[in-house]
Amino acid sequence: MKKLNYLLTVAVLIFVSAFTFIQSQDWKVAEGYSIKFDGGDPSGEFSELKGTIKFDEKNLADAKFDMTLDVASINTGNGMKNTHAKSEKWFDAEKYPTIAFTSSAITKTSTGFEAKGTLEMHGVKKEVIIPFTFDNNTFAGNIEVNRFDFGLDDGKHPKMGTILKVSITVPVTK
Amino acid sequence: MLKTILIQSLVAGILAAVAANIYNQIYFFATLVDYENIINPGSLVGFNLLVSLLAGLLYLLLTTLFKAKGAIIFNFVYSVGSFACVIIPIAITLPLSTPSPELFPGLTVPMVFFPALSWMTIDPLFKKVGFEIKTN
Repeated sequence: MKKLNYLLTVAVLIFVSAFTFIQSQDWKVAEGYSIKFDGGDPSGEFSELKGTIKFDEKNLADAKFDMTLDVASINTGNGMKNTHAKSEKWFDAEKYPTIAFTSSAITKTSTGFEAKGTLEMHGVKKEVIIPFTFDNNTFAGNIEVNRFDFGLDDGKHPKMGTILKVSITVPVTK
Repeated sequence: MLKTILIQSLVAGILAAVAANIYNQIYFFATLVDYENIINPGSLVGFNLLVSLLAGLLYLLLTTLFKAKGAIIFNFVYSVGSFACVIIPIAITLPLSTPSPELFPGLTVPMVFFPALSWMTIDPLFKKVGFEIKTN
């Protein structure tokens, strides 16, 4: 009888261990993504996005976002403002060439998902939560960023909006 | 007089549009940046004709009000107005789909002066009174 129990236990362990090999799916950023920000004036977008995406709705424990934006790719629709935005008075693209987000935990919510992680911009790291959805192989999310939290202020534009509303749409492929 | 001013306005507008289209082509070949969705032959003709016709109305108004000095005032106002309009293409926010917005002022700032330049170029042709050089 003991022998039978032992064999049964081994069989169950082998069966269960098979599920430990289930991993999050790797995704690649596809064409047509957009990272837009709205701060009143200026508003615009970043056109260069890179990174790794591991995401499986059924295995959120292993899901991870590690994304970077190229600061030099900022486009406000005005050449003078672009130059100004990249200068040391604002994003200082030479010293801080990227904006990075690295997730630490991804959880399911009633409306979709939430990615908790660290946003690094202008040399400042801050914990943020990005709510997002994932439909038709496209991630879509919105986040509000207080530019003062990241030292984005040259002291000469008091009327400029404090909050930057960032809209993220990232189609992905395997 | 009204007919002369109208013809001068139309001729000035057409000449400015031709110059603007030539410059647009040169700029495209020099930079390989296409602003077709904003600056195209149609918009250039429309813009230059509109500005020239408005300038004609202003000329009519000033010459009616100030007689002979009206033309002098008009030239001054047109030049200063054109110079002031330089700020428009520099400050404008283009659609985000437009490539290389930093090159846009290089295309459009010179064009701002084309209507005034064209008007002043053909202006002597529409004047009845001119200088007469007497020789012995």
